[in-house]
Amino acid sequence: MSRENGRLHLWAFLQGIGFFPGGWREEKATPDAVFQRSYYERIARLVEDARFDAIVFGDQLQGRDAAGRTPGRLAIPTLDPFTLLAVMAGVTSRVGLVATVSTTYNEPAEVAAKFAALNFVSQGRAGWNIVTTVHPNSPWNFGEPELLEKSARYARAQAFVDAADAFWRQAAGLPAANAADALRNQWFDIAGTLDFPTSPQYRPVLVQAGQSPDGRNFAAQSAEAIFCPAPTIDAGRAYRDDIHERARALGRDPSKMLIMPGLAFILADTEEEAQRKHRHVLELADDQLCIEYLSESIGYDLTRLPANQPFPLDEICAACEFPAEDVRRMLTPAVEAGLSIADACRDYARKPRGHAIFVGTPEQMADRMETWIDAGACDGFTLQPGYMPSELELFCAHVTPLLQRRGLLRREYQGPTLRDHLAAGSPA
Amino acid sequence: MYLSISIDVSPRDGAAFAQLAQQADRIEQAGADFVLLAHETGAGTLEPGRLEAVVTLPWIARRLATPVVVAALPAVHSVPFHIARALSAADFLTAGRVGWLPLLQGGARFDAAYGDAYHLPPGDRVAKHDDFIRATRALWDSWDQDALILNKDSGAYLDSAKVRRVDYRGPFFATMGPLNAARPPQGHPLLVRDLDDVAGDDGAGSAIPADVVLGGADRLAGVEARGTVRLLKVTAATLEQGEALVRDGKADGLHVAGPDAIERVEALRRRHTRRPVTGATARARLGLAMPANPYSKKVPA
Repeated sequence: MSRENGRLHLWAFLQGIGFFPGGWREEKATPDAVFQRSYYERIARLVEDARFDAIVFGDQLQGRDAAGRTPGRLAIPTLDPFTLLAVMAGVTSRVGLVATVSTTYNEPAEVAAKFAALNFVSQGRAGWNIVTTVHPNSPWNFGEPELLEKSARYARAQAFVDAADAFWRQAAGLPAANAADALRNQWFDIAGTLDFPTSPQYRPVLVQAGQSPDGRNFAAQSAEAIFCPAPTIDAGRAYRDDIHERARALGRDPSKMLIMPGLAFILADTEEEAQRKHRHVLELADDQLCIEYLSESIGYDLTRLPANQPFPLDEICAACEFPAEDVRRMLTPAVEAGLSIADACRDYARKPRGHAIFVGTPEQMADRMETWIDAGACDGFTLQPGYMPSELELFCAHVTPLLQRRGLLRREYQGPTLRDHLAAGSPA
Repeated sequence: MYLSISIDVSPRDGAAFAQLAQQADRIEQAGADFVLLAHETGAGTLEPGRLEAVVTLPWIARRLATPVVVAALPAVHSVPFHIARALSAADFLTAGRVGWLPLLQGGARFDAAYGDAYHLPPGDRVAKHDDFIRATRALWDSWDQDALILNKDSGAYLDSAKVRRVDYRGPFFATMGPLNAARPPQGHPLLVRDLDDVAGDDGAGSAIPADVVLGGADRLAGVEARGTVRLLKVTAATLEQGEALVRDGKADGLHVAGPDAIERVEALRRRHTRRPVTGATARARLGLAMPANPYSKKVPA
């Protein structure tokens, strides 16, 4: 099945109004449509027609409100991923639907029930991007004073996935030899599972985005597909080799997992035009927006400070909601370079979240993707349109046909389930 | 006359998906006003179904294109932040047609599945049910209805003064907010209550008035008619009495249960034409007021 699926896999990460913080202000962006059903139905059909493996939505367990102030210029349409994907399931029959869900402030019963429902209404197309919660404000929404310590978060995550799997196996009537241990241990005290209606692909495809050593081990142990940032081919290859090695050490076959680095993009007919569009979307993120954007990453309201002065580092570190040593490490280079708050924030907002950014023509983008695949740097890409929906439309109309002509991307789906699209085989 | 019915996945798994879709299409055709995503026992008790309702709702609402669609959920096991967030999105994507039905009945299997910490003495269950509703509503109220601006030219996305931490602290739940989702189009999705459910627990009812209530004639008699939609629970055997009670103003509509509930709703709709569907949201169509937002700090103009 792998050959017919093509050598290159595409996932669509369609969070909010796109990748760039200023993108919502673009002429062709539709910030109001992301609150409407018809928008999700249209882009779901578009992505399925372009033969992507899956659509992914991220998630957070806190509002954006650094130090109690919600940004006024940053677009934050963070609608619940299950809700969006369930809507998309209603108008598609093949494309996978991947929800990001934390193992930190949830219970296995609830998460197992939700994925059983998403897998049911999509008839076997659900995926779970398993995350742990690291934002310092999240615990406050669940009546907890502070976050779990990091290695405990991953220990809980693994136990959580094992417990959820016991729910799905028992509902599907599959053997679950370790169910007793999975349900009662240091984390959980579960006396009985729930009786879900069954559907193809008995459980969601497991997806992970491990970066730290603990995170990479967790991904190598459980994930069928892995997201990562990879700014260069070498970085991509190093990450993929590392994950494959960890998987082999755990007795897993590395060919059963896809490495899918993020790739944001801006497309146009000519390179000059694409560069102009890129400059424009960066300009739309004005100083106030960029200052709000960085405020959210450190948990400190920088909008109250004079923008033309450098960061008052001690003052910020004494009051920020994120760990002070991390914030100090992050801001020190700007202070040492003598940058004003506005300049430092603008630099930061230009390269959101460390992902690779492609700017150019469809032909150039197809070339770049092919080069990465040939170099063994990845198995495909998690695409992040610069803004929505027009950049996604450009990709589907102009890059997809090139990839298909080159024999890299499937022309037809090879099966009905998300697991069929990954050609990752049946989970053991 | 309002007509209400519940919909549930069939116990026969092989055809369950196709049957659920067909059932939804038929109920849409029949012209029901309320559809509860819930399991209804032979005795007329409502419980959360096998198929998780909050995730199913946005999918099934495409087929159930006109009624209020109501998610039944386990009241003492659900988490306010997750429910507030999911139902906000669902209310937006259905243009304000979402209801929620937090239930105590059927809770035993959730006690086992969620873990021992969730097992409560009966006396605490109604208190936790009410606390769950208050905490969830507080999170919806962490945004003002008009917080979003979305002005591309000025770059104003929302009004920062209209989103805030609510720091809700109740006996069972504490939640800070703000929610990472805007206040739903209905303000709060419609709170639906089975009066047999909450009262059945230990005799003490909920202290929080619901938008829509279901129950027998006795229970409905104790409900303030203004500001509440009262749905009388009937089966084929009690249908005629039920129609008479609605005619006499003792109820605003019928919730039809039993194995032939769809046929009964179809027949009732032929006799009682539907009220014209007007108003931006279900709350407006039902003549129910927008909930006040106690956290809102309106600046004088």
